[in-house]
Amino acid sequence: MKKNNIVKGILYAVLVLLVIISFIPFYMMIVNATRTNSEILQQGFTLIPGTALMQNYDTLIQYMNLWRGFANSLFVAVSVTLLSSYFSALTAFGFAVYKFKGKNFLFILMLVLMMVPGQLGLIGFFDLVRVMGLLDTYIPLIIPPIAAPFVVFFLRQYLMTVMHPSLLEAARIDGAGEIKIFHKIGLPIMMPAVATMAIFTFIGSWNNYILPLVVLFSPEKYTLPVMMGALRGSQVAENLGSMYLGIAISVVPIMVAFLFLSKYIISSISAGAVKE
Amino acid sequence: MKKLDNYGYMFIVPFFIVFITFTIYPILLTFYYSFTNYNGMGDPEFIGLANYSRLLTDSYFYSAFYNTMYIWGINFFFQLSIALLLAILFSDIRLKMRGLNFFRAVFYLPNLITIASVALLFGILLGWHHGTINHLLMDLGIISSPINWLNDPTTARWSVGLIGAWMWFGHTFIILMAGISGISKDYFEAALIDGANRWQTLVKITLPLLKPIMLYVLITSLIGGLQIFDLPMLITDGTGAPQGSLNTMVLYLYNQAFRYDNYGYAAAVAYGLFIITVIFSVITFKSMYRSNVKEG
Amino acid sequence: MKKALSLSFVSLLALGVVAGCNNDESSANEEGSSGSGSGEKLTVWSFTDELEEPIQVFEERHGVEIDLTIIPIEDYPTRLRPVLQNGTGAPDVFTGELAFIKDWVEQDYWEDLSQEPYNVEDLEGDYVDYVFDMGRNSEGAVKALSWQTTPGGIFYRRSIAEEVLGTDDPAEIGERFSTMDGLFEVGEELKAAGYRLFPDEGAVRWFAQGDNPQPWVDENDELIVTEERLNHFDFAKELRDKDLTAFAPEWSPAWFAAMDGPINYNAGWDEVDEGASNEVEVFSYALPTWGLHSVLKTNVEETDGDWAVTNGPSPYFWGGTWLGIYSGSDNKDLAWEFVKMMTHEEEFLTDWALDTGDVLSYLPVTEKIKDEFQDEFLAGQNNYTFFLDEAQSIDADTVTRYDQQIDTLFGNAVSDYVEGVRTKEEAVDEFYNLVKNAYPHITVPNE
Repeated sequence: MKKNNIVKGILYAVLVLLVIISFIPFYMMIVNATRTNSEILQQGFTLIPGTALMQNYDTLIQYMNLWRGFANSLFVAVSVTLLSSYFSALTAFGFAVYKFKGKNFLFILMLVLMMVPGQLGLIGFFDLVRVMGLLDTYIPLIIPPIAAPFVVFFLRQYLMTVMHPSLLEAARIDGAGEIKIFHKIGLPIMMPAVATMAIFTFIGSWNNYILPLVVLFSPEKYTLPVMMGALRGSQVAENLGSMYLGIAISVVPIMVAFLFLSKYIISSISAGAVKE
Repeated sequence: MKKLDNYGYMFIVPFFIVFITFTIYPILLTFYYSFTNYNGMGDPEFIGLANYSRLLTDSYFYSAFYNTMYIWGINFFFQLSIALLLAILFSDIRLKMRGLNFFRAVFYLPNLITIASVALLFGILLGWHHGTINHLLMDLGIISSPINWLNDPTTARWSVGLIGAWMWFGHTFIILMAGISGISKDYFEAALIDGANRWQTLVKITLPLLKPIMLYVLITSLIGGLQIFDLPMLITDGTGAPQGSLNTMVLYLYNQAFRYDNYGYAAAVAYGLFIITVIFSVITFKSMYRSNVKEG
Repeated sequence: MKKALSLSFVSLLALGVVAGCNNDESSANEEGSSGSGSGEKLTVWSFTDELEEPIQVFEERHGVEIDLTIIPIEDYPTRLRPVLQNGTGAPDVFTGELAFIKDWVEQDYWEDLSQEPYNVEDLEGDYVDYVFDMGRNSEGAVKALSWQTTPGGIFYRRSIAEEVLGTDDPAEIGERFSTMDGLFEVGEELKAAGYRLFPDEGAVRWFAQGDNPQPWVDENDELIVTEERLNHFDFAKELRDKDLTAFAPEWSPAWFAAMDGPINYNAGWDEVDEGASNEVEVFSYALPTWGLHSVLKTNVEETDGDWAVTNGPSPYFWGGTWLGIYSGSDNKDLAWEFVKMMTHEEEFLTDWALDTGDVLSYLPVTEKIKDEFQDEFLAGQNNYTFFLDEAQSIDADTVTRYDQQIDTLFGNAVSDYVEGVRTKEEAVDEFYNLVKNAYPHITVPNE
């Protein structure tokens, strides 16, 4: 028993070390965000915060309004999540409930194209968006995720296992239309699976870099990742303290949100993987 | 009933309108451009297979493929081994480790941060004479002079690979834990009663039962890894330096299209990337199928 | 739940529609407002913040609002081009940098200023020659104008010069800097005293070309690599091997910090005995005219007034901002007013020059102010006559549309060699391959 405790002690020490490794880059970031450029350059590494936070903030905000990027990213990610969830549920319901001609073909087509890497159509997508006059708008970021094959696939599989046709029959006998049935019965049944997928959709959209990079031009429309990229080439990069602060602003709110949502997010990831 | 079934079309129509417009059409358009010389202005000029014959002999494309695999390999090895060790540790019914929820959350955290921010952060933390990581390592006496991490091909690839592992091991850990909790406790208890030691339990029970989920991790990680872009793009300002060691396939595609205006050739690069992805997926699926047959 | 969801969905769609309309509206507004007198709005895109103050002046004068969008220079051409081609959301006025102006004057992006009502040909004699010519395309039409001229020099710290070299006189320092050997000699003296000649190796790229500056690509689409270009490899390596720089790469935070005082050098514990402390101070920066007001002045507090400018081993020029009217603009009159003010209005430009120290290309103003000019930042030195003299030797024929990308590739090749990961031959060879890879139509020497 005693030996077991020593082993456990060592194991916990290793785990704590891993925690430190996971966290120390963020800690360096936060500390450096409060120091002046010359402090960072001259005094090197320290665990003690400095006093230049406001000064760094002023420098940063003078060139780049990161809060704006935050708002933009939030707008895009929320829109994408809602649209993608709703339309994927609709499509999954269509595939799961009805037997129509060509259904299998369409479903397989969707599955095959699910395997295609997102960058394959990038050049054509860019050209299409340009011709449509939609460059520098959010439409090319928000509308295409309506067609999310993986989400449809996942929801359809879920629906097949949990839904009894008798439920629908009962509703039809009550005189409900098909759309109403979807809203009244299909959607609520799928809700747990929709929520799981919504988290992935949101994180994916929030982190998306290459698409907004290619599509957006005006800095005031930049999403957060693109704004972070632009930070590097901007005057902010002259001041390491402000640079760290800029990164911190993009990171800390996510950390805080995660504090409250971690349990939910982790169980979603677990569910997403096992249901495969 | 027959009539009702036509409602099916209505449900899937919005999806397919968007899917055809924004996914299928661009893929076909890209395919067309891959046979043309097109600089983004004017009309594309049809040049047959010239882009593809160039692609086949393009050493930069091959080195981009090599770099991509190199970086992914480091990333995946460390990501999976750390996650696996953690999963085994926390699933050991004799040890009864506590704090699973806490550790899972902390380890997962880096995965949630925008990759652009991670790239920027490590870009400056890994600076040479003025980087905080070098300062720290020198203060600790681990190194005696600063290492120019991002200026040497080997350390640069390892840096990017390890950043990837740092970002993803928590995610993989969660997935493996989910897989293990799907294994019935009875197996472990039976093994315990039969007097199986830890190693036997691991080799005979845990690993075989985790195999499908590890393959899932492998495939998703590989498909994602083949498309790595954000980290090398932001760490090297898009140049893929040092010595092109961080020039990955998608970065190469991006530069050919949006930096050098060779849209036609970039389209061919996209299809090259696609073919490689298909080959890898097929190999992975095949090997999964074969090993299943063997066991069954 | 269902209600909430569909409600948020509907509001979202509404938002999307509103956002879509917004775009249309704003562009419609711009169309509608052209010609009307007040409440006009002008959009300007640029890659620097230089225009912020002139825009304020213009806004006050005309009672209009100008929307300035600043896009980092790496992304500038990539971001602008699709917008200019399409016209949606395009600016009324936009700037072009030296590195890509050659490309842009050939396109239809900018309004032809040689035509009525602009008639800029009448002004030709009023500008430094190369500045005016740079805005002209192969068919002779002038598309853009610039207010500045951008010859380069070496800015150095007077106090360090006094201490180590025994003088802070620009003429004497310039004499010592007039050859590459002289430059390295001074570097050694500075090192012995605990200073560093340059912040990084990049500083010598301008002087490596010597007296034989050539364009990267000639009219036959052939890459030209002169002996002098290749000398850059050796000079950069020498700087590194002799430890004459402070390891502060151009545009990095350390580079900026070194302007204002000592920075941490951190050469490592093995070499620490060479100086008592780990800190070094940088003596000089190779910068052009605009380096004074938009780089040095904005980043320096402690060393204000401790600077002077002198020549390097050979003349060079670096950058420059040209200004033109978008050909599809609906507000060309007002746009032209702005371009006019910025490029040939005596009163404004005089104030601007005296205020910032920027060296103008508009001769009526430079003639008027050059003899009296002095800058407190440079301890009263007249940088104007110095730079105007240097401007005489600028040969604008060396500018090509490939410069931005090829310069980057070349810089990487040099750094590979300096770091010791490639031999010079390998690095040069790789450079050729990369140029070929990016621009297949260019013939490179190793084919």
